[in-house]
Amino acid sequence: MTEIKRIDPRGPRFGAGITSVLSLASFALSFQFGFIAGYPLMVALFLLFAWSVFSPKTHPYQLIFQKLVRPRLKEPTELEDPRPPQFAQKVGFSFAILGTLGGLVISALIPIAAAFIFIAAFLNAFFGFCLGCQMYLGLRRFGIIR
Amino acid sequence: METSLIATLGLLALGVIGGITFKALQGKGHRVSTKEIIDLGKLKASNNGLPTTEYGKKATLVQFSTSYCGQCPGVKRTLSQLEYRLGGLRFAEVDITERLDVAAHFNISQTPTVFLLDQNGHLIYRMGGVPKMNQLMEELEKLGVK
Repeated sequence: MTEIKRIDPRGPRFGAGITSVLSLASFALSFQFGFIAGYPLMVALFLLFAWSVFSPKTHPYQLIFQKLVRPRLKEPTELEDPRPPQFAQKVGFSFAILGTLGGLVISALIPIAAAFIFIAAFLNAFFGFCLGCQMYLGLRRFGIIR
Repeated sequence: METSLIATLGLLALGVIGGITFKALQGKGHRVSTKEIIDLGKLKASNNGLPTTEYGKKATLVQFSTSYCGQCPGVKRTLSQLEYRLGGLRFAEVDITERLDVAAHFNISQTPTVFLLDQNGHLIYRMGGVPKMNQLMEELEKLGVK
Protein backbone atom coordinates (compact mmCIF):
# COMPACT_ATOMS: atom_id res chain seq x y z
CA MET A 1 0.00 0.00 0.00
CA THR A 2 1.40 3.41 -0.85
CA GLU A 3 1.65 5.99 1.88
CA ILE A 4 -1.06 8.60 1.56
CA LYS A 5 -0.44 12.02 3.02
CA ARG A 6 -3.18 12.84 5.46
CA ILE A 7 -4.71 16.29 5.40
CA ASP A 8 -6.21 18.81 7.78
CA PRO A 9 -9.99 18.17 7.53
CA ARG A 10 -10.69 21.90 7.88
CA GLY A 11 -9.07 22.53 4.48
CA PRO A 12 -11.88 20.91 2.48
CA ARG A 13 -14.47 22.49 4.79
CA PHE A 14 -13.01 25.93 4.20
CA GLY A 15 -13.22 25.36 0.43
CA ALA A 16 -16.77 24.09 0.81
CA GLY A 17 -17.69 27.34 2.55
CA ILE A 18 -16.60 29.38 -0.48
CA THR A 19 -18.27 26.90 -2.84
CA SER A 20 -21.56 27.18 -0.94
CA VAL A 21 -21.53 30.98 -1.27
CA LEU A 22 -20.76 30.81 -5.02
CA SER A 23 -23.41 28.19 -5.72
CA LEU A 24 -26.05 30.00 -3.69
CA ALA A 25 -25.24 33.21 -5.60
CA SER A 26 -25.51 31.36 -8.92
CA PHE A 27 -28.85 29.96 -7.84
CA ALA A 28 -30.18 33.36 -6.70
CA LEU A 29 -29.00 35.15 -9.86
CA SER A 30 -30.63 32.63 -12.17
CA PHE A 31 -33.92 33.04 -10.35
CA GLN A 32 -33.66 36.82 -10.34
CA PHE A 33 -32.57 37.53 -13.91
CA GLY A 34 -33.37 34.37 -15.82
CA PHE A 35 -31.56 31.09 -15.64
CA ILE A 36 -28.65 32.16 -17.83
CA ALA A 37 -27.64 34.87 -15.31
CA GLY A 38 -26.36 32.14 -13.04
CA TYR A 39 -24.18 30.78 -15.80
CA PRO A 40 -20.92 32.70 -15.26
CA LEU A 41 -20.73 31.54 -11.64
CA MET A 42 -21.57 27.99 -12.72
CA VAL A 43 -18.62 28.10 -15.11
CA ALA A 44 -16.46 29.41 -12.27
CA LEU A 45 -17.59 26.47 -10.09
CA PHE A 46 -16.89 24.09 -12.96
CA LEU A 47 -13.33 25.42 -13.28
CA LEU A 48 -12.71 25.34 -9.53
CA PHE A 49 -14.00 21.77 -9.22
CA ALA A 50 -11.95 20.71 -12.25
CA TRP A 51 -8.90 22.25 -10.62
CA SER A 52 -9.40 20.37 -7.36
CA VAL A 53 -10.06 17.10 -9.18
CA PHE A 54 -6.96 17.32 -11.36
CA SER A 55 -4.51 19.22 -9.18
CA PRO A 56 -5.77 19.54 -5.58
CA LYS A 57 -2.38 20.68 -4.23
CA THR A 58 -2.23 23.83 -6.35
CA HIS A 59 -5.87 24.79 -5.82
CA PRO A 60 -6.35 28.41 -4.71
CA TYR A 61 -8.64 27.43 -1.80
CA GLN A 62 -5.92 25.14 -0.57
CA LEU A 63 -3.27 27.86 -0.84
CA ILE A 64 -5.44 30.43 0.94
CA PHE A 65 -6.17 27.91 3.67
CA GLN A 66 -2.50 26.99 4.10
CA LYS A 67 -1.17 30.56 4.05
CA LEU A 68 -3.89 32.59 5.76
CA VAL A 69 -6.33 30.40 7.64
CA ARG A 70 -4.45 27.47 9.10
CA PRO A 71 -1.78 29.58 10.89
CA ARG A 72 -4.62 31.22 12.83
CA LEU A 73 -6.23 27.96 13.88
CA LYS A 74 -5.22 25.52 16.59
CA GLU A 75 -3.47 22.32 15.60
CA PRO A 76 -5.99 19.88 14.20
CA THR A 77 -6.94 17.09 16.63
CA GLU A 78 -7.15 14.64 13.77
CA LEU A 79 -5.83 14.42 10.25
CA GLU A 80 -7.88 12.65 7.63
CA ASP A 81 -7.45 10.61 4.52
CA PRO A 82 -7.80 12.84 1.43
CA ARG A 83 -9.59 10.21 -0.69
CA PRO A 84 -13.18 10.72 0.49
CA PRO A 85 -13.07 14.56 0.16
CA GLN A 86 -11.43 14.15 -3.25
CA PHE A 87 -14.19 11.80 -4.23
CA ALA A 88 -16.69 14.40 -2.99
CA GLN A 89 -15.00 16.95 -5.27
CA LYS A 90 -15.62 14.61 -8.19
CA VAL A 91 -19.30 14.42 -7.27
CA GLY A 92 -19.37 18.23 -7.19
CA PHE A 93 -17.54 18.30 -10.49
CA SER A 94 -20.19 16.04 -12.07
CA PHE A 95 -22.90 18.46 -11.03
CA ALA A 96 -20.89 21.39 -12.35
CA ILE A 97 -20.55 19.60 -15.70
CA LEU A 98 -24.32 19.09 -15.68
CA GLY A 99 -24.86 22.80 -15.02
CA THR A 100 -22.24 24.03 -17.48
CA LEU A 101 -22.88 21.74 -20.47
CA GLY A 102 -26.48 20.77 -19.75
CA GLY A 103 -27.26 24.41 -18.93
CA LEU A 104 -26.48 25.43 -22.50
CA VAL A 105 -29.27 23.16 -23.75
CA ILE A 106 -31.76 23.34 -20.90
CA SER A 107 -31.13 26.50 -18.91
CA ALA A 108 -33.14 25.21 -15.91
CA LEU A 109 -30.26 22.82 -15.26
CA ILE A 110 -28.18 25.79 -14.07
CA PRO A 111 -30.16 26.48 -10.87
CA ILE A 112 -30.78 22.75 -10.38
CA ALA A 113 -27.05 21.97 -10.46
CA ALA A 114 -26.35 25.04 -8.30
CA ALA A 115 -28.89 23.83 -5.73
CA PHE A 116 -27.30 20.36 -5.46
CA ILE A 117 -23.81 21.81 -5.19
CA PHE A 118 -25.01 24.26 -2.56
CA ILE A 119 -26.65 21.59 -0.37
CA ALA A 120 -23.59 19.33 -0.45
CA ALA A 121 -21.12 22.18 0.16
CA PHE A 122 -23.27 23.80 2.86
CA LEU A 123 -23.64 20.56 4.81
CA ASN A 124 -19.91 20.04 4.66
CA ALA A 125 -18.91 23.57 5.63
CA PHE A 126 -21.41 24.24 8.41
CA PHE A 127 -22.30 20.82 9.75
CA GLY A 128 -19.13 18.88 9.02
CA PHE A 129 -21.19 16.40 7.07
CA CYS A 130 -19.44 15.32 3.88
CA LEU A 131 -22.11 13.83 1.62
CA GLY A 132 -19.58 12.38 -0.81
CA CYS A 133 -17.51 10.86 2.02
CA GLN A 134 -20.62 9.34 3.53
CA MET A 135 -21.47 7.70 0.23
CA TYR A 136 -17.89 6.46 -0.29
CA LEU A 137 -18.07 3.12 1.54
CA GLY A 138 -21.57 2.39 0.30
CA LEU A 139 -20.63 3.08 -3.32
CA ARG A 140 -17.51 0.96 -3.02
CA ARG A 141 -19.61 -1.84 -1.60
CA PHE A 142 -21.86 -1.80 -4.63
CA GLY A 143 -18.87 -1.70 -6.93
CA ILE A 144 -19.72 1.72 -8.33
CA ILE A 145 -16.29 3.08 -7.41
CA ARG A 146 -13.09 1.32 -6.49
CA MET B 1 -37.50 39.92 -6.76
CA GLU B 2 -39.77 38.04 -4.42
CA THR B 3 -39.68 34.64 -6.09
CA SER B 4 -35.90 34.62 -6.22
CA LEU B 5 -35.67 35.67 -2.59
CA ILE B 6 -38.14 32.99 -1.53
CA ALA B 7 -36.39 30.33 -3.64
CA THR B 8 -32.98 31.27 -2.25
CA LEU B 9 -34.17 31.33 1.35
CA GLY B 10 -35.97 28.05 0.70
CA LEU B 11 -32.76 26.44 -0.50
CA LEU B 12 -30.89 27.81 2.50
CA ALA B 13 -33.59 26.44 4.83
CA LEU B 14 -33.35 23.05 3.12
CA GLY B 15 -29.62 23.00 3.85
CA VAL B 16 -30.17 23.90 7.52
CA ILE B 17 -32.92 21.28 7.92
CA GLY B 18 -30.73 18.68 6.23
CA GLY B 19 -27.85 19.51 8.57
CA ILE B 20 -29.99 19.36 11.71
CA THR B 21 -31.50 16.04 10.59
CA PHE B 22 -28.03 14.68 10.00
CA LYS B 23 -26.86 15.79 13.45
CA ALA B 24 -29.89 14.15 15.04
CA LEU B 25 -29.50 10.84 13.18
CA GLN B 26 -25.71 10.64 13.34
CA GLY B 27 -24.59 8.01 15.84
CA LYS B 28 -28.13 7.19 16.89
CA GLY B 29 -28.30 3.54 17.80
CA HIS B 30 -30.94 0.91 17.38
CA ARG B 31 -31.61 -2.56 18.74
CA VAL B 32 -30.86 -5.57 16.61
CA SER B 33 -33.21 -8.50 16.95
CA THR B 34 -31.34 -11.15 14.96
CA LYS B 35 -28.98 -11.88 17.89
CA GLU B 36 -26.23 -12.90 15.49
CA ILE B 37 -23.07 -14.14 17.20
CA ILE B 38 -20.10 -11.99 16.20
CA ASP B 39 -16.96 -14.10 15.83
CA LEU B 40 -14.09 -11.74 16.67
CA GLY B 41 -11.47 -14.22 15.46
CA LYS B 42 -13.09 -14.58 12.08
CA LEU B 43 -13.40 -10.80 11.79
CA LYS B 44 -9.69 -10.44 12.66
CA ALA B 45 -10.61 -7.97 15.37
CA SER B 46 -7.81 -6.23 17.24
CA ASN B 47 -7.28 -4.35 20.45
CA ASN B 48 -4.28 -2.00 20.66
CA GLY B 49 -2.90 -3.60 17.53
CA LEU B 50 -3.08 -7.14 18.93
CA PRO B 51 -5.56 -9.76 17.73
CA THR B 52 -8.38 -10.38 20.15
CA THR B 53 -11.02 -13.11 20.25
CA GLU B 54 -12.43 -12.85 23.76
CA TYR B 55 -15.66 -11.16 24.70
CA GLY B 56 -15.91 -8.86 27.70
CA LYS B 57 -17.35 -10.40 30.86
CA LYS B 58 -20.45 -8.28 30.50
CA ALA B 59 -20.28 -6.59 27.11
CA THR B 60 -18.08 -5.99 24.07
CA LEU B 61 -17.91 -3.00 21.77
CA VAL B 62 -16.78 -3.68 18.21
CA GLN B 63 -15.83 -0.70 16.08
CA PHE B 64 -15.67 -1.05 12.29
CA SER B 65 -13.21 1.42 10.80
CA THR B 66 -11.64 2.28 7.47
CA SER B 67 -8.31 3.96 6.83
CA TYR B 68 -10.04 6.84 5.02
CA CYS B 69 -12.43 7.51 7.89
CA GLY B 70 -11.76 10.89 9.50
CA GLN B 71 -13.63 10.31 12.74
CA CYS B 72 -12.61 6.72 13.42
CA PRO B 73 -9.40 7.42 15.41
CA GLY B 74 -11.22 9.78 17.78
CA VAL B 75 -14.04 7.32 18.41
CA LYS B 76 -11.51 4.54 18.95
CA ARG B 77 -9.78 6.63 21.62
CA THR B 78 -13.05 7.35 23.40
CA LEU B 79 -14.15 3.72 23.38
CA SER B 80 -10.74 2.46 24.49
CA GLN B 81 -10.91 4.83 27.45
CA LEU B 82 -14.35 3.46 28.24
CA GLU B 83 -12.94 -0.08 28.26
CA TYR B 84 -10.24 1.05 30.65
CA ARG B 85 -12.68 2.87 32.93
CA LEU B 86 -15.55 0.39 33.10
CA GLY B 87 -15.41 -3.15 34.43
CA GLY B 88 -16.48 -6.09 32.29
CA LEU B 89 -16.27 -4.18 29.02
CA ARG B 90 -13.99 -5.10 26.14
CA PHE B 91 -13.21 -3.09 23.06
CA ALA B 92 -12.25 -4.48 19.66
CA GLU B 93 -11.69 -2.85 16.31
CA VAL B 94 -12.13 -4.28 12.82
CA ASP B 95 -10.57 -2.59 9.79
CA ILE B 96 -12.86 -3.06 6.79
CA THR B 97 -10.99 -0.83 4.32
CA GLU B 98 -10.27 -3.76 2.02
CA ARG B 99 -12.97 -6.05 3.33
CA LEU B 100 -16.09 -4.97 1.56
CA ASP B 101 -17.53 -8.46 2.04
CA VAL B 102 -17.64 -7.82 5.81
CA ALA B 103 -19.29 -4.44 5.22
CA ALA B 104 -21.84 -6.09 2.94
CA HIS B 105 -22.53 -8.93 5.37
CA PHE B 106 -23.36 -6.55 8.22
CA ASN B 107 -24.88 -3.97 5.92
CA ILE B 108 -22.40 -1.30 7.03
CA SER B 109 -22.57 1.80 4.85
CA GLN B 110 -20.52 4.22 6.92
CA THR B 111 -17.58 4.17 9.30
CA PRO B 112 -17.29 4.26 12.19
CA THR B 113 -20.05 1.77 12.88
CA VAL B 114 -20.12 0.39 16.42
CA PHE B 115 -21.68 -2.90 17.52
CA LEU B 116 -22.60 -3.70 21.10
CA LEU B 117 -22.41 -7.38 22.00
CA ASP B 118 -23.73 -9.05 25.15
CA GLN B 119 -21.57 -11.36 27.28
CA ASN B 120 -22.09 -14.26 24.85
CA GLY B 121 -21.11 -12.25 21.80
CA HIS B 122 -24.62 -11.72 20.47
CA LEU B 123 -25.08 -8.52 18.52
CA ILE B 124 -27.82 -6.59 20.32
CA TYR B 125 -27.32 -2.92 19.43
CA ARG B 126 -25.61 -0.96 16.66
CA MET B 127 -24.73 2.64 15.95
CA GLY B 128 -23.77 4.19 12.60
CA GLY B 129 -21.49 7.22 12.75
CA VAL B 130 -19.98 8.79 15.85
CA PRO B 131 -21.91 7.18 18.73
CA LYS B 132 -24.07 9.32 20.97
CA MET B 133 -22.36 8.70 24.28
CA ASN B 134 -25.35 9.11 26.61
CA GLN B 135 -27.27 6.56 24.57
CA LEU B 136 -24.35 4.17 24.56
CA MET B 137 -23.90 4.49 28.33
CA GLU B 138 -27.57 3.67 28.86
CA GLU B 139 -27.26 0.52 26.78
CA LEU B 140 -24.10 -0.49 28.61
CA GLU B 141 -25.80 -0.03 31.95
CA LYS B 142 -28.58 -2.38 30.87
CA LEU B 143 -25.90 -5.04 30.43
CA GLY B 144 -24.52 -4.33 33.90
CA VAL B 145 -21.47 -2.38 32.79
CA LYS B 146 -20.85 0.56 35.08
